[in-house]
Amino acid sequence: MTFRKKECVAMILAGGQGSRLMVLTENTAKPAVPFGGKYRLIDFPLSNCVNSGIDTVGIMTQYQPLQLNEYIGNGQPWGLNSTNGGIHVLSPYSKSQNSEWYKGTANAIYQNLSFMERYNPTNVLILSGDHIYKMNYAKMLSAHVRNNADCTIAVLEVPLEEASRFGIMNTDKSGRITEFQEKPKEPKSTKASMGIYVFKWEVLKKYLIEDNEDPESSNDFGKNIIPKMIAEGRRLFAYDFVGYWKDVGTIESLWQSNMDILGDKPLLDMRDPDTKIYARNYAHPCSYISPKSEIVNSYVAEGSQIYGKVYDSVISTGCIIEEGAEIHDSFIMPNAVVGKRSEVRYAIIGEDSTAEPNTRIGDDPEFYEKKAWGIAVVGKDKVVEQNSVIKPKEVF
Amino acid sequence: MKAMGIVFSNIYDSSLGELTNIRTVASLPFGGRYRLIDFVLSNMSNSGIYNIGIITKYNYRSLMDHLGNLSDWDLNRKNEGLVFLPPFVSGNTGVYKGKLEALYSAIRFIDNPAYDYVVVCDTTVLSNIDFREAIKKHIETGCDVTILANREKADPRKKHPLILKADKSNEVTEILINAPAKEESYVGMGVFIFNRKALTEILEESNSKGLVHLERDYLQKKFNENAIELSVFPVDGIVLRNEDVRSYYANNMALLDEEIHNGLFNNDRPIYTKVRDEAPTYYGEGSAVSNSLVADGCRFYGKVDSSIVFRGVTVAKDASVRSCIVMQGTRIGRNAKLECVILDKNVTVSDGTVLMGTPVHPVIIGKGETV
Repeated sequence: MTFRKKECVAMILAGGQGSRLMVLTENTAKPAVPFGGKYRLIDFPLSNCVNSGIDTVGIMTQYQPLQLNEYIGNGQPWGLNSTNGGIHVLSPYSKSQNSEWYKGTANAIYQNLSFMERYNPTNVLILSGDHIYKMNYAKMLSAHVRNNADCTIAVLEVPLEEASRFGIMNTDKSGRITEFQEKPKEPKSTKASMGIYVFKWEVLKKYLIEDNEDPESSNDFGKNIIPKMIAEGRRLFAYDFVGYWKDVGTIESLWQSNMDILGDKPLLDMRDPDTKIYARNYAHPCSYISPKSEIVNSYVAEGSQIYGKVYDSVISTGCIIEEGAEIHDSFIMPNAVVGKRSEVRYAIIGEDSTAEPNTRIGDDPEFYEKKAWGIAVVGKDKVVEQNSVIKPKEVF
Repeated sequence: MKAMGIVFSNIYDSSLGELTNIRTVASLPFGGRYRLIDFVLSNMSNSGIYNIGIITKYNYRSLMDHLGNLSDWDLNRKNEGLVFLPPFVSGNTGVYKGKLEALYSAIRFIDNPAYDYVVVCDTTVLSNIDFREAIKKHIETGCDVTILANREKADPRKKHPLILKADKSNEVTEILINAPAKEESYVGMGVFIFNRKALTEILEESNSKGLVHLERDYLQKKFNENAIELSVFPVDGIVLRNEDVRSYYANNMALLDEEIHNGLFNNDRPIYTKVRDEAPTYYGEGSAVSNSLVADGCRFYGKVDSSIVFRGVTVAKDASVRSCIVMQGTRIGRNAKLECVILDKNVTVSDGTVLMGTPVHPVIIGKGETV
């Protein structure tokens, strides 16, 4: 079989467990975590690829891949079910000599060199499967080509006090990266790496093979590949991204990013027709909004039934909010049920879970000491029994 | 027992007035996110009928646009799938006037030895049924044609296209065409099950005799001559007939009744439609939505009550929408007051506009118009 040459192949790292999302990723990979009423995290890099004209995508899965693989299917919802290119789920596989799991980000890409080789791409775009942002990768690619760069790294301006949580790029006037600091105590700049890389294919291949032969390496782009390339005088450039970007690594950030789509001028606009995010759709009928309901500043997705009150929240497909229930500042994941007279405040309720009548889940921050308060979480497939209370910060 | 399907996309266009000026009745929007044809296609797909011919006459561009590559109905198949059957004009055939003529023009599609049975359907009567059960009964009774029908109450003012009387074993004892139901009786749902081989013979014969209408020229005539045996397959579930603007409006509103809604939509046999990748609907400050069916992609800042709202509709501040059908992409301006209005796709209602219809005579605003 022959493969046509591709200008750019995208590789999405989707193997992460997302252990800080706790109960929400107990039985599913982080990129399959629901978002925004009808989406999953993986929809963002996939839709960005499609909206940027990239039609060949490899997705590297490892941790609990069942739900994610099912969700991706043949790639039809994203228009990636093509004969020439399209979507490829790349799971670790056994080889004649040895078999191994993906050990680090660079190792995952290394183990799939033969996949990329088939398309003989000019450049390879490396993405994470668990970031929420809308980005036109085509612009980044053309900057990469213009700079004749070996590698281009997308960077985001972050507040100085937060810079020590990120990988920080120090650049010269032309945007060329002179130094890379991983989570520095005293950051020299505020350009944080977004974990989005474009590599020249030949350069990437060389460094991955060398990295694999180095027993000292932890096979990570940020820790090993990028510092080595800088040290050897390769042309690395920063690409400034302006816009909304969130790594939903924690319960707080997952909750916050859902709140960020609300409002008339939201931080993240899900309605912009030019940067549509595609998702696998299930055949749900319209949502039913009953006469006793009240909904303010909220998103409600198809297939849900609202009999109660919903304020400043995101209600996903197939949810039922029963009569007398109240939802404030919360994210309710698909097919969850909130029973009669139950109150949900500052909480995330997991997929297919039920809060029986008269439960209280979470609470407003103003009644608590800062350290004692947090988002309350109900996991996937859970039942919160009648009259029970899930306190703020509690994980059920 | 393999069956194929035939769908008539426009047979009753004329009775739906302005709504079908620019589209087939099959592509008429319904229930907030569907087109009428979605129900028949979903029933077929859910019943394992994957080889389907759609008979079209004119104005079928919107239908082709809606169906796209058919993957949303699970009908984009390698060996089977859906075929458009536009009028095949040659020699003495022309654009057909009745179902028999239409079927004859599709005879080469129908005469496929891989299939034993043919399910022939209209798109105007909505229900959620498993055709496999009906085909099973058709085989058991050994009759020539099985007609799907439901019980309708007596109403001397309302004429039905096909009224049937049947005995206890569901064998048809009388056929009436374009008649009112004087007592509670079976009313045909526009779904007929034929043996494939027999159907091709019927079509050859009716073509040579110049017959036009399936119900009058074949079913009723042959039945009265005692030449064929007919069976009724009784349907107990929800059945909604869209015969004219009035019933179309009433049927949309009927979906606000939980029992009717749940009778038409269930998780075991979903109704599929075109995926449009809209964001969920946003309920802004000042919105008050009640007793309504709402699709994705809308933005509400005003009042919506007892209405069916399709995808991508905007309702501005202080607007009031009551008992309306608002189709895809329509924008309703500030302080507009609408009651019993059917707003077709992409209508713009200017600020302060007042439109009042009644449930019997709803106001209709045509596609793309500005009022």
